[in-house]
Amino acid sequence: MNGSWTVFVKELRDALRDRRTLMAVVLSSVLMGPLVLFALSALVASSEQRAESREVLVAGLEHAPSLRNFLERNTLVPKPAPADYEQQMVKRQLGEAVLVVPPAFEAELARGDRPVLELVNSSANPRAGVGVQRLRRALQAFAQEQALLRLAYRGVAPALLEPVKVEERDLADPRARSAQLTGMVPFFVLMAVLYGALNAALDTTAGERERGSLEPLLMTPASRLSLVVGKWGAVAAVGMLIAVLSCLSFLPAQSLLRSETLAALFRFGPREAALFLALLLPLAAALSALMMAIAIRCKTFKEAQASNTVVILGVSLLPLLSLFNDGGEQPWHVWVPALAQITLMGRVLRGEAFTAPDLLVPLAVAALLAAACLVFVARQLRAAATR
Amino acid sequence: MIEVDAVHKRFVSGRGSKAKTVEAVRGVSFRATDARITALLGPNGAGKTTTLRMAAALIVPDSGRILVDGIDVAMQPQQALARMGVLSDARGLYPRLTARENIVYHARLHGMAEAAAHARAEQLARMLEFSDLLERRTDGFSQGERMKTALARALVHDPPNIVLDEPTNGLDVQAIRGLRHALRRLRDEQGKCIVFCSHIMQEVQRLCDHVVVVSHGRAVAEGSVDELCRRSGHADFEETFVSLAFGARAEA
Repeated sequence: MNGSWTVFVKELRDALRDRRTLMAVVLSSVLMGPLVLFALSALVASSEQRAESREVLVAGLEHAPSLRNFLERNTLVPKPAPADYEQQMVKRQLGEAVLVVPPAFEAELARGDRPVLELVNSSANPRAGVGVQRLRRALQAFAQEQALLRLAYRGVAPALLEPVKVEERDLADPRARSAQLTGMVPFFVLMAVLYGALNAALDTTAGERERGSLEPLLMTPASRLSLVVGKWGAVAAVGMLIAVLSCLSFLPAQSLLRSETLAALFRFGPREAALFLALLLPLAAALSALMMAIAIRCKTFKEAQASNTVVILGVSLLPLLSLFNDGGEQPWHVWVPALAQITLMGRVLRGEAFTAPDLLVPLAVAALLAAACLVFVARQLRAAATR
Repeated sequence: MIEVDAVHKRFVSGRGSKAKTVEAVRGVSFRATDARITALLGPNGAGKTTTLRMAAALIVPDSGRILVDGIDVAMQPQQALARMGVLSDARGLYPRLTARENIVYHARLHGMAEAAAHARAEQLARMLEFSDLLERRTDGFSQGERMKTALARALVHDPPNIVLDEPTNGLDVQAIRGLRHALRRLRDEQGKCIVFCSHIMQEVQRLCDHVVVVSHGRAVAEGSVDELCRRSGHADFEETFVSLAFGARAEA
């Protein structure tokens, strides 16, 4: 295995000298933590801010003094809507729903003619959702108050109108709720590892073939398996480096969290980082071997890149599987490489219980996959050199 | 010494009814002895490169065998490769490594110690006259500079047998003369067995002691340049070669 070490050192040096590619990969993995968290916290903060603000937009407020009085009594602040609110809403410049009051509102209400209040919203604009809920609740309360007043005037008990009382209780603990938002973090980390190892995997196989340096390499007495193991070691090392960098980038990035709620919910300490790495490092090694196995059959770097798109597409579609799957987490998920890691990283983020077998199954699968791919590459090597 | 004994190789491309069979080598035999430059001369597609690849254990022959210093290549490829330096058709270098690193990499894979590998790289660079290029990355190398580096890489473990596949391809006159000079020194001073594969008659005529003419997968004639000329009745080596190589086609 002396040959393996020589190959490992050479391939690693070669990969580290490919500065431009390396910089792009390292930079994107290091910046990923801060960027993802920053985007998340901005999203959460702005929806929190909107949830807290008490402003409601009303067009034609002057026609409805009774409604205005009601809103103000309920500590809401009615504001006149801009004249071109419809256009603004369609263009997504306005993130609030607008209530439109007809001119004859007050008179119709007094006559009992059921005046029509229009609640304008664009469902293509998700930001407006929060505002719609609040306005709808306020209007329901207003209508109920009016009804109660009229019934009371006729001597009917208000309790008759409300035979059932509804109370809400949310069972999700704060971590589980935050996991809905932070659920994409494992996916980003995984993709970073995949892209990090991709270039080295192709360069040591299809690249070597395209360059015409594979044939001379095979004319040395080093055994084919030792050559392949050395190459794989270097590719996996690059993938693991990216895994470590991208996991650690989340640690300092947490100080950037603007939203206090999210900061309290997204707990990614050294323990979580260590668990992430325990899952990611074997996977990086297995995926490196897989990409090499696919690339060794390709004559050029470009061809290998196209063939490996299948792997990247497969891994990037895996999160959808758990998203669309109504049954939630299935027992077989831990047996599929990449899906297992995404599932388990999700559990780490949700703070769920974690046992040694949960780690061992994906580890065994990864080891098996890597070994099978390496033997395959070693077998293909000679045919690849001469074809 | 390299002995090639009646090797056959047939390639099958495609599958089923569309399968095409190409008989690349149909019984080539020759013997390249030590302290001699043996030429494998033949037109393009004659089977020279396939024969060399079989000698380098990259392709397994369908029948026949190849011995390198008495070691059967098919049985003990690693021992045979340790006694051979091959500059093949594919002579790619690693562009991000320096010439020295390229050479030392192969030396280490041949099991040489670090210090010995560096010393040998410097020695070969002096012999092939490219010492000033040793610390440069091979990225911007010219054809000739690449060839010298690749040749040094092939010779790094000081093999007793040297196999060169079209080594003068893409070289200018200066470089060709330098290469010729180096090969003669290896033959005369160190008694190496050198196999020189080419389709250029002038090269072979100038350099080689013994010529094996290969045509359509067969060795059709063997002898020194003068012997071959005398036998074919032509004064000119080019005429001799054409009659030997393409006369064979009429027979086949």
